[in-house]
Amino acid sequence: MSDAPTIEMSGVVKRFGNKPVLEGVNLSVPAGQTFAFLGRNGAGKTTAIRMLLGLLKPDAGTVRVLGLDPQKAPTEVRRRVGYLAEDQAMFGWMRVDQIMAFVKPFYPTWDDRWATQLRERFELPLATKVRHLSKGQGVRLGLLLALAHRPELVTLDDPTLGLDPIMRKEFLRDLVTYLQGQRVTVFFSSHLLYEIEPVADAVAILDRGRIVRQATTDELRAKVKRLILPAQAEATARGLPGLLDFSHGGRQIAVVVEDAPAATAVLRAEGVAADEVDLNLDEIFEAYVIGRKEPASAEPLLERVA
Amino acid sequence: MRSLFWKEWHEQRWKLAFGALILVGFSVIGLRARVIADETMLEAVCFLAVPLLSVLSSTGLVPAEREEGTLQTLLALPVRPSLIFAMKAVIGILLCAVPLVVAAIASMAIAGGREISAASIIELHLRTLAATLALFFWMLALTVRLPTETRAALVTMGVLIMWMIVTVGLPQGWNPQMVSSRFWLVDPLVFLLGFRNGKWGVSLALAAALQAIIALALWLWAAWQFPRPLEARS
Repeated sequence: MSDAPTIEMSGVVKRFGNKPVLEGVNLSVPAGQTFAFLGRNGAGKTTAIRMLLGLLKPDAGTVRVLGLDPQKAPTEVRRRVGYLAEDQAMFGWMRVDQIMAFVKPFYPTWDDRWATQLRERFELPLATKVRHLSKGQGVRLGLLLALAHRPELVTLDDPTLGLDPIMRKEFLRDLVTYLQGQRVTVFFSSHLLYEIEPVADAVAILDRGRIVRQATTDELRAKVKRLILPAQAEATARGLPGLLDFSHGGRQIAVVVEDAPAATAVLRAEGVAADEVDLNLDEIFEAYVIGRKEPASAEPLLERVA
Repeated sequence: MRSLFWKEWHEQRWKLAFGALILVGFSVIGLRARVIADETMLEAVCFLAVPLLSVLSSTGLVPAEREEGTLQTLLALPVRPSLIFAMKAVIGILLCAVPLVVAAIASMAIAGGREISAASIIELHLRTLAATLALFFWMLALTVRLPTETRAALVTMGVLIMWMIVTVGLPQGWNPQMVSSRFWLVDPLVFLLGFRNGKWGVSLALAAALQAIIALALWLWAAWQFPRPLEARS
């Protein structure tokens, strides 16, 4: 496998009319990685993903997928990428076998045996019309169609949107099982962080059109921490490097910092004792996209990092 | 390509059957009943065919898929959007042509040579097909960006009414003989009304050539607009 990144976005800008959607997005996803693209609804995830497929043209910047420009070689890119769109609409009048037969000719690498295995694993009835499938079956059918041609990159745009929690777990279990046997790069977007955590090697957090952090999940967990400090250390806390969130709790202050070792070193130099608390991905994401640097009482509820 | 054709055919074949059934039904019943002259009956059927087939064929091709969201699924496949659009246009042309061909065959079988010759029946249906196709390209181009089938239907009706107004010359009132003294070269309905006195030749060639160029331009414009996402307009 090549060392070149599977996905590379550099300075990507996209506007719809006067509304900026992506503002200088830089992103690099190495081959073989399971990469989670995180952001709130409307953050620009779908726009970015559609650019990867060549469905949207960036206003500025460059996009490379598997070394190709999706604008110049969209057909080649789409042949090598498996794509499951957010709430993907299927052709309701087709039966499962018909939609498989319809999609197959577009992919020279379509693997019939693998498609059959996936269909059996996903328990999809061949003779049932797509419109009669349950929501979960519909998503699994979308996944089958995205995987049956053995793509080098799988791009999933909020694949579990609309599924109930059990279905979401089943879906991810299926995905993980697939990943265990393949060396495929997976790029998937979601806003349900607890789902991402067990499967993602790395994440990028997109907020209001900008990547506010890209790192491996291990690095994020190791570095982004909550520090509990005495209230007297407020001035020091406000000056901490990489401060993401600040909250006042009576005699204590809780801050979230993006580089805990660096922040702890500063506190130690100031003679302030601090307790470190580990954060899960959900809390880390929250700190990045809705974190506050001012006390909650003095700020609007959803004040974000400037 | 076969896969795309198969999909479009399966989606539109009921419209084709409906169009053929209506035209053949009217032709057969009218020509067998003989309440009016065969020529008048056939002209009535052809006047019905133009709006019926052009609207029926153009509204379901792109706006219906946008409305259902399946157009995005289609565009995400590894195939050039121009090929998808071309296949839709081919199906649209078939939707216009096949019912007219079937109706012409049925009419010739019943009334060919009775009051009017089989050649005249073919000519009448060919003129109807030319008018229907010219309108189809106008409607296809003007509805390609619309998000719903209902809006597309309204626009196609608007296109039809506009050309009818242009054809009959609103200020002068109904007068087929002065049809489109100004617009006859670009008027799709001129194929139905403009050559009733058998003035074929140069007039027809000019109108057909110009309208073929217009249809090509409309098709190219629609093919360019077809894959562009709607939100890009906002």
